[in-house]
Amino acid sequence: MRADLALPWQTQANMTQPVDDLDLIRRMQAGDDDAVRDLYAQYGQRLYAYALRLTDDPATAEDVTQNTLVTAWRTARNFRADGRLIAWLLGIVHHTAMKAIRNRTNYLDDVAEESIHEDQPSPEEQAQVKDERRWVRQGMQSLSPEHRAVLELIFYQELTLNEVAQVLDVPLGTVKSRLSYARDHLRGVLTRTEER
Amino acid sequence: MNHEEQLIRYAANQLNESERTEFENHLSGCVDCQADLTLWASIASEINASDSAVPAPVHLTDSALEAIHAPSKLMRAFRNMTQLLRMQLLLMHNELWFGSAALMFIFLAMALLVARVEVLHFFVPMIAAGTVTLIYGSEHDPAAELTFATPISPWKILLARLTLVSAYNVFLALCATVGLLLILPPQALGELILGWLAPMTFLSALALLLSLWIGTSNALFISYTLWAAQYLALTSIGEWFAFLTPWLESYRQFWNDPALLFILGFALIVFALWSTGREQVQWRRSVAI
Repeated sequence: MRADLALPWQTQANMTQPVDDLDLIRRMQAGDDDAVRDLYAQYGQRLYAYALRLTDDPATAEDVTQNTLVTAWRTARNFRADGRLIAWLLGIVHHTAMKAIRNRTNYLDDVAEESIHEDQPSPEEQAQVKDERRWVRQGMQSLSPEHRAVLELIFYQELTLNEVAQVLDVPLGTVKSRLSYARDHLRGVLTRTEER
Repeated sequence: MNHEEQLIRYAANQLNESERTEFENHLSGCVDCQADLTLWASIASEINASDSAVPAPVHLTDSALEAIHAPSKLMRAFRNMTQLLRMQLLLMHNELWFGSAALMFIFLAMALLVARVEVLHFFVPMIAAGTVTLIYGSEHDPAAELTFATPISPWKILLARLTLVSAYNVFLALCATVGLLLILPPQALGELILGWLAPMTFLSALALLLSLWIGTSNALFISYTLWAAQYLALTSIGEWFAFLTPWLESYRQFWNDPALLFILGFALIVFALWSTGREQVQWRRSVAI
């Protein structure tokens, strides 16, 4: 493994959880507005990041995040204490975002993927074409929201594979097959980039 | 657990201490896993970098709380409806309320004096039909221009006015019917109400529709004539008209069929509500000229 590609958890402090999840839920059930503020302060960045990753549009991601807070408030009674609050919240984000995407239906498909690679990069971009982040970003954008979701939930949201399956409401096997597909796809993008 | 899954869990920091040590031992000797780990590390690094680079908007909690505390759709609809009814109550002629109450009182007094229920059965539908012909249109609406220029659909305005006037007419008729109990036993109350309710509904609906299409005077003339025709005694006019007697009998039965009168009455109301668009178009044309 290359030294400049250290895993995020080897270089960053893990996301801490200073606020008690159950306390947040109880306060929302009791109608405490400050619970929504505390919830957002605690998880807002992660919720927005996931919404943005799925929708690829800041305005839609804002709507999705706001609707997630509203849904969490209204359905706080449905939260089961046997799972993590963040997994439950991300499930709401996922459901809301997919609905928004279905309405929009403009995520990048295979044709769009081809167009990414056919774009003529600027001289500055050509100089950075070997940059790992650039091809990963390109590759991520060319994945479907369902595949992006799996990567996001594992590597940024730090969810277990079982939690990912719960958030996406799919079997564990589907999560694994999506991971394999994403890996093969990104490997293919990397290979094409290196050939240029 | 296969190496692929372990590799992902390792890259995502989901292995415990002993699993991690064991996997790192495997990793040091497996070229394939090292290559895959490089790929996963790049992905994890990009995801973390890009997600951390875009801060979540700070205003979202305020807008979310605003949405949380916004009144429900049902409550908003109820508020809009009461506001519309209040507004239309102010715009309608005051004479409507006093006039129909005075007429109802007079006919109740007549019914009590002659001790005949039929007096009320005859005049209650006519009073109701008379009032609904005065509720809509440039002919009678002092604020017609305002009504047509308002963003509220004309049919909603008509429905609001019809609701107000009909509720008032039913209230007056109920009061008059209770008054009839001075000369009748209380058990007759239900039958008395049924006696005027269905004809009142149909005649009002007919008069309303006609008033929208051909004006108030014509509407009153036609609907009152149709209503009064059932009380004709053809044999008293002359034997020439006797052949019409079976037809007249069927016509009387029509006015005594509550189910049919209600169905036709509601159909005419729907048609009248639809007709409001036509009225507005005509007004716009007249303004344009």
